[in-house]
Amino acid sequence: MEMIRADHVSMRFRLSADRITSMKEYLVRLVTGRLKFKEFGALSDVSFAVQKGEVLGIIGHNGAGKSTLLKVISGILKPSNGSVTVHGNIVPMLELGSGFDYDMTGRENIFLNGAILGYSKEFLTAKCQEIIDFSELGEFIEEPIRNYSSGMMMRLAFSIATVVEPEILIVDEILAVGDADFQAKSKARMLELMGGGTTVLMVSHTMSQIRELCDKVLWLEHGTVQGYGETAALCDKYEGKLNSSKGDGNGSTENE
Amino acid sequence: MKHLNSGTKKLTAILAVYVLLAVSFYALGGQQLHIRGAETDDMVTPTGDVDEIYANSKITQPFSIDADHITGVTLYTSTYGRLNDCSLNVSIERAGQTIASATKPAGELGDSAETVVSFAQPIEITPSEPLTLIISSPDGSGGNAVTVYYGSSISVSKGSVDKELNESELARVDGQTLDGILCFQVTGQQNLLFGSIYWYVVAALGVALAAYGLTLVRKMRSGASSPTLRFFAAIGKYRFLMEQLVNRDFKTKYKRSVLGVLWSFLNPLLMMLVQYVVFSTLFKSNIPNFPVYLLTGIVCFNFFNESTNMCLQSISGNAGLITKVYVPKYIYPVTRVLSSSINLLLSLLPLFLVLLITRTPLSIRGVLLIFGILCLEVLALGVGLILCSLMVFFRDTQFIWGVLITILNFATPIFYPESIIPARFMTIYKLNPLYHIVRFFRIVLLDGVSPEPKAYGLCLIAALVPLAIGIVVFKKSQDKFVLNI
Repeated sequence: MEMIRADHVSMRFRLSADRITSMKEYLVRLVTGRLKFKEFGALSDVSFAVQKGEVLGIIGHNGAGKSTLLKVISGILKPSNGSVTVHGNIVPMLELGSGFDYDMTGRENIFLNGAILGYSKEFLTAKCQEIIDFSELGEFIEEPIRNYSSGMMMRLAFSIATVVEPEILIVDEILAVGDADFQAKSKARMLELMGGGTTVLMVSHTMSQIRELCDKVLWLEHGTVQGYGETAALCDKYEGKLNSSKGDGNGSTENE
Repeated sequence: MKHLNSGTKKLTAILAVYVLLAVSFYALGGQQLHIRGAETDDMVTPTGDVDEIYANSKITQPFSIDADHITGVTLYTSTYGRLNDCSLNVSIERAGQTIASATKPAGELGDSAETVVSFAQPIEITPSEPLTLIISSPDGSGGNAVTVYYGSSISVSKGSVDKELNESELARVDGQTLDGILCFQVTGQQNLLFGSIYWYVVAALGVALAAYGLTLVRKMRSGASSPTLRFFAAIGKYRFLMEQLVNRDFKTKYKRSVLGVLWSFLNPLLMMLVQYVVFSTLFKSNIPNFPVYLLTGIVCFNFFNESTNMCLQSISGNAGLITKVYVPKYIYPVTRVLSSSINLLLSLLPLFLVLLITRTPLSIRGVLLIFGILCLEVLALGVGLILCSLMVFFRDTQFIWGVLITILNFATPIFYPESIIPARFMTIYKLNPLYHIVRFFRIVLLDGVSPEPKAYGLCLIAALVPLAIGIVVFKKSQDKFVLNI
């Protein structure tokens, strides 16, 4: 069964230097006839389909449009052209802890963040203890999270995001948070999720992970599809290009 | 099959609720749904009297009234401070034909005061037809007679305004024209179409509702989609999220404040107290039950102010969420209105308290406030949708709205009586949607009766027109939100 289908998806942005946020500016430009916008094509004509249970890896350089593509599929961005069809509920793990309220306690935030991720009340009530246990927060769960350390916050966020077994999981880099112990635990949890028959879309710069986990790979470069197909062949090609361009310093800027 | 059953069950429940609402509204609406009180212009200030009315004198006063029945006449009479053994006859003539007559013994007349003369039965008339009021005394004589006053100006708070009078409007005493009109006011009733067709309208709407419901049930069965079904599905799906967001708004609002939720009660009370002290000397004499009048206005306006300002920030302030997780964007303004509604409900408690303190008679018709509250919320949501969309593209919106809301504060009769607005500005004045809703609240609370059917219609328009505009603006711009915040 086809879970995700992208048809000729294009995404264009107005460049932020030209963005107008005040009425005066807007009117001045309208009058002087300079109401033009520089456009930037983040994605152009991207098509692919993901079957149920498939793990699709998305690779490419910084600014290739990987995160934009994930946002389009999660429904956050509406493509300028083309269409995306998704069957099943998506849990996006784009940025952990979006929607945390710092004045509320950890427990209250489990419900708030869970609701934002689309979990039901019954589900959260049943899984609340599991989340608290996994995050290892103990009694701190009744504290307002403004008193948390950043590691504690990430642990809680990770625990909420991964408690569910979604039909479609969208991952921007495999998240390894917290101290060494927790990192190992969270990585194991991620792999468990991805191996459990869930359809996964993942972005990663760690080629070993891609080779290990993905059934297929989509290689994006400057918003266009450079390659789409079997993991091994495409990864070899990508790494080959990476190595050859290392000389002129383009490939070494990989950090997100 | 199970789906179908649940669908028909829901439809039956909805229709039952509809019938229940229609019947209870009819009961609560009472007389006000059928007739409306009507009266001629306010009485002129008495400046002179017509002298003792003797048996042979006759005072005539032409008038017309936009009503279907005449029930009575109010006159400003004097008995010269003595006990008279005579009576005063008030009758109404149509082209020389007497159509109504009532006699009142002098002992029942007010001395330099208003006297109400009621007819035994309401007199049927054609609205606005020319009629004549005739005052006479069948047995008045020198030293044993009463009189009525006349005048030509209307007093306002400080000073008076001359009334423009035509020659034909003036009162006559035995054929001699007076320099003014009698101090009189004719009261009557107007039949309302709404009351007579109420059940037909209810039936027609019921049939339409049932028919629409049936098509929805059929669509549900065949799995077809429709905007209404999608709407209800979305409510089911995002209900928990909205609960959580409202919960958050409410919890964080008073977090770290000592009195916490008490502020929801205290804030309107204290504001009322301040404004009461300031304005009571200015307007008190003109407004009966000023504390309730004032607090009603404050409660309504506070809600509108708070919810629109919260909506204004709802998209741009949640940028972090909107760019990271997909949630239908209308959730944000809707939850903001819902969380201010909780505040509104809490601030109804001090209002209730003030009603008790001022010994305002409480009536079961207070239930009708629910309609007013719903209209107020829908209005706030409509305006909020427009504001939050504009705010994403132009950050100036918040400053402009700050100014506009101040204008609106003064353009709504919150602390002053609406009678101080000059008549020629009244049309513009009534364009303010808040005016109609505040007025609705006040009629229900202060008079303890249902407002006339027109008031419901105006409240609905005041709520639904901004909502429709808001929905269109929001829908057209929501896809560009992510790119601009």
